Amino acid sequence: MNRLIALILLVVPLMVPIHAQTPAPQAPAETTPAAETPSPVPSAESWLTGSVDVGYRWRTDVGGSLDTYRSIVNLGSGPKMLGADFTLTDPKHRAFDQIRVRANGWGDEPYQTFHLDAKKSKLYDFRADYRDMAYFNFLPSYADPLLSRGIVLNEQSFDMRRHLANFQIDLLPGNWFIPYFAYDRDSGSGTGATTFVTDTNEFPVPNTLRDQTSLYRGGVRFERSRFHATLEQGGTTFKDDQSVFQGSGTTNFGNVATSIFGQKTDLTNLLAAYGVRGTSIYSKALFTAEATSWLDLYGQFLYSQPDTNVHYQQTDTGNLLLQSQLLFYSSQQYLVSAAAKLPHTSGSLGVEIRPLRRVRIVQSWLTDRLHNAGSASSTQTLAGTGASQQIAALLTSSLVTNYSQEEIDVFYDATSKLTLHGGYRYVWGDANDAVLPPAGLMSSDQAKLRRNVGIGGVTFRPTQKLTVRTDAEVASSGGAYFRTSLYDYQKVHAQARYQALTSLSLAADFTLLDNNNPVPGVNYDYRSRQESLSLFWSPLGAKFGDFQASYTRSTLHSNIGYLIPQTLTPQTSLYRDNAHTATALFNVKLPTVQGIAPKLSAGGSLFISSGSRATSYYQPLATLWVPINKKLSLFADWKYYGYGEAFYLYEGFRTNLVTTGLRFTR
Amino acid sequence: MRSIKLAVLLLFAAGLTTRGQTAPALPAGYVGSETCKICHEDIYTAFGKSSHNAVETGAKRGWEGRACESCHGPAQMHTESPSAATIRNPAKLAAAATDKICLTCHLNQPTHVGRLESSHAKDQIACTSCHKVHANGPNGLVLRKPAAINEQCASCHTNVWAQFQRPNHHKLPEGAMSCVDCHNPHGSIRPAMAQSFAANEPGCLNCHGDKRGPFTFEHGPVRFEGCVACHEPHGSANPRLLARQEVRIVCLECHASLPTVNATGTIGVVPPSFHDLRSPRFQNCTVCHQKIHGSYVDRNLLR
Repeated sequence: MNRLIALILLVVPLMVPIHAQTPAPQAPAETTPAAETPSPVPSAESWLTGSVDVGYRWRTDVGGSLDTYRSIVNLGSGPKMLGADFTLTDPKHRAFDQIRVRANGWGDEPYQTFHLDAKKSKLYDFRADYRDMAYFNFLPSYADPLLSRGIVLNEQSFDMRRHLANFQIDLLPGNWFIPYFAYDRDSGSGTGATTFVTDTNEFPVPNTLRDQTSLYRGGVRFERSRFHATLEQGGTTFKDDQSVFQGSGTTNFGNVATSIFGQKTDLTNLLAAYGVRGTSIYSKALFTAEATSWLDLYGQFLYSQPDTNVHYQQTDTGNLLLQSQLLFYSSQQYLVSAAAKLPHTSGSLGVEIRPLRRVRIVQSWLTDRLHNAGSASSTQTLAGTGASQQIAALLTSSLVTNYSQEEIDVFYDATSKLTLHGGYRYVWGDANDAVLPPAGLMSSDQAKLRRNVGIGGVTFRPTQKLTVRTDAEVASSGGAYFRTSLYDYQKVHAQARYQALTSLSLAADFTLLDNNNPVPGVNYDYRSRQESLSLFWSPLGAKFGDFQASYTRSTLHSNIGYLIPQTLTPQTSLYRDNAHTATALFNVKLPTVQGIAPKLSAGGSLFISSGSRATSYYQPLATLWVPINKKLSLFADWKYYGYGEAFYLYEGFRTNLVTTGLRFTR
Repeated sequence: MRSIKLAVLLLFAAGLTTRGQTAPALPAGYVGSETCKICHEDIYTAFGKSSHNAVETGAKRGWEGRACESCHGPAQMHTESPSAATIRNPAKLAAAATDKICLTCHLNQPTHVGRLESSHAKDQIACTSCHKVHANGPNGLVLRKPAAINEQCASCHTNVWAQFQRPNHHKLPEGAMSCVDCHNPHGSIRPAMAQSFAANEPGCLNCHGDKRGPFTFEHGPVRFEGCVACHEPHGSANPRLLARQEVRIVCLECHASLPTVNATGTIGVVPPSFHDLRSPRFQNCTVCHQKIHGSYVDRNLLR
């Protein structure tokens, strides 16, 4: 009997691990051991945690230009849901393990965002993101040909909102085979001002804007122990319905006040509408592999082919001039049918080889090739005092670019604290841009790109408290696409981080780009440089608060020659920007009063520049937090915006924003 | 008889231990995560809530019950002589060595397909510089909140963050966007580790879909050099994030009015016309050439 008991006691515990390793077929859901699935939050914790900030913002009157304020800041008064951040956890892991939700800036705010993550282990991982962004831009210094006449207007302005939505679900996350599907939507709508351009005059007119892009995609990821492959197929639909109009009954004299051949031109009626429809398909194949212990492989192939079809209709009346025929006309109908197709192929291949313990060799090749082909058929019908005239045209266009680069880098760990890096990159390509038949000086243009780049770098970490990184590129070119493109350049980037004390860390950042194109007719001389220093100080273990600050000095110097169009005399375009930027933030824990421990944050940022567009921009702020209890805090926030320009004084503004509110925490 | 009972009890206890671990016997030198927990309970608990805990609980990766040692190496010596010198700490290794540990599992993910083009990898920025391996929550292993992402990037890229303090900027300081909306920190096929749209189109089009085209009449720089040919995407004192203070300066630096097509081997040097720039009417090129990103219907980008 004792032997029997001993045998049973021996066999049962030995069987248990075997059973545990075997999948439990047809196991009821409620008996699935919770320990098998990682629980993000123990069941003892609350199923809902997070906080929501609600409040009211007051904005004082904007001193100066309200339009500039709206173009740059655009925050208004009213009740706001300033932020929310919640985590829902299902301890029983029924439909989900965890859902995370965050939202910011709701209540007629310029940037309203919402994000949701939901996941269930080994079943799905879902993400949704939505943003509603206001885009207001009315800066007369951008496009105001009438300023000299005292008219402050931006003839290229916008007041619109863009809505961005993304949804993606990954199925069977953590498995070796992961299908996924996604839908992205980007749309914009609103109004603005633009110009209706004729041969001899431009007429500022209102326009409406409405566009929408929908992207559908799906794919699978194969994630094996030593390699990965992703295959994705997607497509888009696009539509753009922009229209420009001016109602009858008004006369628009445009930007030209002078008479032409004794007559002033004007616009009395206009309706122009674009109907743009587009589609695209694309394919994506990615792979990574650890071929051997000393060799990793990387590669990707990407192909897309967007196309558009356009129907443009325009009818206008007024007293207008066709300059090529010196013909005045009183009405015009202009119809265009156009299409374009842009096949675009990209790919890269690379290997990382570790032949020795301290040496790594990385070689990569990359190419990017696109070829746009377009055509437009137009019919212009003019009617005037005499007989009507019809002008038809057919244009074709082509834009091609083939870009490639090859690079080899060698990394050598001289010691465990010092890594040296050297490399070489060769970049080559060609570009061609043509419209046929040629008109005037515009027909076709082409350029070649040839660039040799030497690469070097050092990473030095003498102690855990200090890290210094530098990398540099020196390039010499035999051709570039544009006069302002990178040509013969030197680029340096250095960063250092130092933990001076337990409570004090410092960081420095330096970048330099020196680009020159000595080709006669270009003579481009460009230099930009930025130096930054930042610190974070939390004395006494942040018992009383902390302080962080940064200062950046940046300079930009650019000289390039050109010929003044009307006289063809040489001129140099000079651009200078000398800027100081500083940010600072104190967080101070104020003395506790009757169990309430308030916190004060104060700081802000400033930007001051001199040079071609001397500008100052100040954003001081202060926030007071008063926790009433564990679940409720009171806050008050003050922020000032002050903006000024030396050359465009009429675009300056200043205003104060005060927000008070409550944070509810669970 | 007593010896038999003792043997049975020992076997039973051994069985229970094995059952608790649900894993095969530990290889030589390994002690298992439960042993690590004895001294590092706070890390063990935090780790248990992170997505990395799948290494501990799943058999797929071969480290079941030994997640700590999957990165820190065999810990037997450390348990016998606890000190920093007796255990591997990936955060203190050379970046390549740290990355090698992470890539042991993560190389088989699409995230790293652009790694060879990544300046982070080339500059020896280890995975642990950005990822808190033991942590959990939205500010843990992978930062999710835009403000947290921006703060992390700005801690090194101070210069770049300073550009966002300029008046015209993408809305990162406001928390409406994050650095990773535009950049892929793990590397990308596009310059500056930029994100892409619909496989290989510029990531800018994720939000600026109306600039996508393809246009019947393209403006070359948009396709050849991208938006940064004319714009400073991080921030600028100039309207519309332009690289120069006025539109005509941006245009004339390429359209330099040189008398001969392609005299400099570059595109766009000839004058589009002989406008008199002394007239305010011609000082803002985009008043007329309003479709500067490309036109569907007009070769001169006028409509």
